[in-house]
Amino acid sequence: MVGRPLDEPELIRRAQRGDTHAYEELVHAYQGIAFRTAYVIARNAGDAEEAAQDGFVKAWRALGRFREGAPFRPWLLRIVANEASNRRRSAGRRASLAVRAATEEPSGGAAPSPEAALLSAEQRAALLAAVDTLPDEQRDVVALRYFLDLSEEDVAETLGIPRGTVKSRTARALERLRESYD
Amino acid sequence: MTELERALVALGNELDFPEAPDLWPGVAGRLQRRRRLRPLVVAIALAALAVGVAFAVPPARSAILKFFHVGSVSVERVQTLPPARTQPFATGLGPPRTSPTLKLPAGLRATRYYKGPGMAAALLRYRGRQLLYARLTGDQMGFAKKFVGPTTHVEEVRLGEWGIWFDGGTHVLQWEFGSVQTRLAGNVLLWLDQGVTFRLEGPLDKVRMLALARQITR
Repeated sequence: MVGRPLDEPELIRRAQRGDTHAYEELVHAYQGIAFRTAYVIARNAGDAEEAAQDGFVKAWRALGRFREGAPFRPWLLRIVANEASNRRRSAGRRASLAVRAATEEPSGGAAPSPEAALLSAEQRAALLAAVDTLPDEQRDVVALRYFLDLSEEDVAETLGIPRGTVKSRTARALERLRESYD
Repeated sequence: MTELERALVALGNELDFPEAPDLWPGVAGRLQRRRRLRPLVVAIALAALAVGVAFAVPPARSAILKFFHVGSVSVERVQTLPPARTQPFATGLGPPRTSPTLKLPAGLRATRYYKGPGMAAALLRYRGRQLLYARLTGDQMGFAKKFVGPTTHVEEVRLGEWGIWFDGGTHVLQWEFGSVQTRLAGNVLLWLDQGVTFRLEGPLDKVRMLALARQITR
């Protein structure tokens, strides 16, 4: 392939016609967010990798049903999130996210970022522990919305729930977390 | 955004996410697994048939399964592709020529022409896509070489005396005109017709590529 980089709609159109090179570009563009989405849901790197890979394979098979002009990322993430949820259910475990990097002091005496300065190491640990105690449905919303910085709309699409449900789950989760944070 | 929400964002920024692995090799392998099985068997059988005489000595038999040639182009199946990157189609073909170096069927437009010993090529615009069309004369093997990886789909097609279609995972092409030039290649149709090797490369599917090839060598 030569010339200017292809835009996403063109890559999708080509992939829909069976062009695996175009799909390869889409996989490379989205594998980071797909893996992270799977990871915050499955909470295990191995499961996340499998879920993301399965998600991309299933997305390829479902490309024919992808509606032209629709946003690709949330459509893909929904498939990946579903795979990750299935793995979490089958694993029957409840693993935690880690903040190893966050508990270390910045190297080279660099000043912490304004966001990092918001939280002490103890607060980070306490807040993460509190997130871990949330029911899965609330924890997923919090993780996607705040840890992965997805929009409310994208969270709704990714989890396959109405936007109003995202709002209500977020509100309930924040209410519970506020008790630990304050 | 409330202070708690900002704190959650800050926490997200400091989470220890494992590095995302490259998912494409696994995805590509699974996409190709079913598609490549049958055509690969056919291609390998044909490859064995085509070069079987030349490699009739027993010690060379294992190589037959991994190596064949279509006219001037050698094809080698490898587990790991040699290092290569995506480069313009014309890489390794020398400077463009202003005058036509090969004849094109009516209605086909070339934007550039190239010529080398035993090779004439043109960059084409066809159905809005850029394609490379090359015509190779001479029967020496290794004139151009293809390294085909495990995810590359290789399929025999009815075209000329013998045609092979390559798609799926990228493969590596080496032109050997003077200095060796290596690059990644995508969909390629390679065929032999009356002692001449023809090669078309570009983002077209098999059906369209075959239709164009039949215009070229009818």
